[in-house]
Amino acid sequence: MTVSLTLDHITAHYGSTQVLEDLSLAIKAGELVSLLGSSGCGKTTTLRLVAGFLEPTSGTIQLGERDLTRLAAHKRDIGLVFQNYALFPHLSVRDNVAFGLKQRGLGGTERTAKANAMLERVGLSSFADRMPAALSGGQKQRVALARALVIEPPLLMFDEPLSNLDAKLRVDMRVEIRRLQRANGTTSLYVTHDQEEAFSISDRVAIMNAGRIMQLDRPEVLYQRPANSFVARFVGFENLIGMTVTARDGETVTAVTQAGATLKLSQSVFGAIPDRFVLAARPDGLAVSREGEGIPVTLGIRTYLGRAYQYQCTTPAGDYLGNGPLTELLDPGTAAVLTPVPEQCCILPSDA
Amino acid sequence: MIKRLSPWILAGPASLLVLVFLILPVGSTLIATFTDAKGWAAPYAAFFNSGFRRTVLYRTIEISLITTIISVVLGFIAAYVVAQMPARLKSIMIIAAVFPLLTGVVVRSFAWLILLGKNGILNTALLSVGFISEPISMLYTEGAVIAAMVYLFVPLMILTLAGVLEGIPKDVVEAATSLGATPFAVFRQVILPLAMPGLIVGAVLVFTGSFTSYATPQLLGGERQMMMGTLLYQRAMVTFDWTGASTVAAIMVVVTILIVVLMTRLARRLNPMAG
Repeated sequence: MTVSLTLDHITAHYGSTQVLEDLSLAIKAGELVSLLGSSGCGKTTTLRLVAGFLEPTSGTIQLGERDLTRLAAHKRDIGLVFQNYALFPHLSVRDNVAFGLKQRGLGGTERTAKANAMLERVGLSSFADRMPAALSGGQKQRVALARALVIEPPLLMFDEPLSNLDAKLRVDMRVEIRRLQRANGTTSLYVTHDQEEAFSISDRVAIMNAGRIMQLDRPEVLYQRPANSFVARFVGFENLIGMTVTARDGETVTAVTQAGATLKLSQSVFGAIPDRFVLAARPDGLAVSREGEGIPVTLGIRTYLGRAYQYQCTTPAGDYLGNGPLTELLDPGTAAVLTPVPEQCCILPSDA
Repeated sequence: MIKRLSPWILAGPASLLVLVFLILPVGSTLIATFTDAKGWAAPYAAFFNSGFRRTVLYRTIEISLITTIISVVLGFIAAYVVAQMPARLKSIMIIAAVFPLLTGVVVRSFAWLILLGKNGILNTALLSVGFISEPISMLYTEGAVIAAMVYLFVPLMILTLAGVLEGIPKDVVEAATSLGATPFAVFRQVILPLAMPGLIVGAVLVFTGSFTSYATPQLLGGERQMMMGTLLYQRAMVTFDWTGASTVAAIMVVVTILIVVLMTRLARRLNPMAG
């Protein structure tokens, strides 16, 4: 049975410091949603609120039909996977996995059978009698995963579960987590600061900043169509060019940068363009060429990327990064032109 | 050559010190109890044939065990509370707990004389409230000795346990909670087993400390509540019965070792991780 998780207008404080500001989040039944953001953005606080280790100042938390807001943590029935594994060091791998079953009053033989079956699913059958101290990091996290899954919780939560593993193992584990989560169809909340991890594993990702969700969407949408400057910068749109519309002619819009450079943009490509906007582009989205229509710049440092050359470009309004073709080698100090590649750029509302 | 010998050279002075001032005197003390004119085990027979001395031994074991149990319980509760506190408050509480250790054992036992005496603070207070009509004698009872010893040893217990409890990761407790463990289950199935090593160390320290104590039973127990420590002193310095005193010492060593081994065994049964 899968259920949805709903956080409704949650505000939370540590002492007098506000850490979450009017946060609302709905995770559909069976969905895996990640909270992504740098440290201090409130992602872990959100997880701890749902787990019951913290109480919100206001707002409600609902899991399916149940109101969790003031429910004691041990009654919430949530599977939690921690960054530091948090295995019980005094219990064998099997007893670690069986711990939750024991709390639910299951008898010894049934506990052992279920724990063994779960260990089989995570490929650790032969380690059942070992103590946690005798396991590698990846094995420990698989035990932690088995321990959380075996109680068949309606909600699974992950708190940076892969941060302590090395790169290769991280990729294997996240596939493993996705596989098990999919197989059970368990609604899941996943907290991470790693963009690749969040995007690869999630149905939807919430990018958080300063206690608020900046955008919640499918990874593809976040990556290609960020809704605001913060998210754009977060997903690698390094160039944010503030612009003002000076003329409109049918679908074609003429806009100038703060330095006075003029660009012609088509609304049939970019969608409706407001009078003041930010043109966001990855280095890929700004083509560097010797001459043509675009933003005039002076080239700075050139770096070789394999598929292209990347140039640091200086304009009176700020510095940008653009890519130039391998066929045309331009030297630092040369005057050049930056032209937006429409498919690689997007239009954002102006921050000011 | 020098390199191969250097560990021995470095360990030499300390080993010599231990040999001359500990092993030799203790050894000769013990040997004296086996070379008595009346037969090799005669001093021990004499000890166990004396009802009085047997009572002293049993009383010492009893008082030490009760002291240990009370200290473990009180110390655990205090250490648990201290371990939950924010860092700044924690260090203040630890200093407060250790503060009594800065004064001597005699001073602290003497404080209990003032508290528990016929005209002591406790009696005066109870009288003035009208709880009792005449002073009750609290000194020279087993209770007085136990109270003072618990007071002496609880700081030791808190110190030992606070470190251990602080070392239990918070997320392990949270993991147990998320898996449905009630606060009591968390305590019983996670905190207690993980604190077991500290509990054993603390209990052994308290037990050996109480079992071999001298000043506290001397001041608060007097002749009536004689313990092994005070009996040893009496044998050696009052009756000049050196063999008798040596026998008391030998029995104290054996009992201490026995109880320590027993405690460790028991703790290991409760938790395979401990010890």
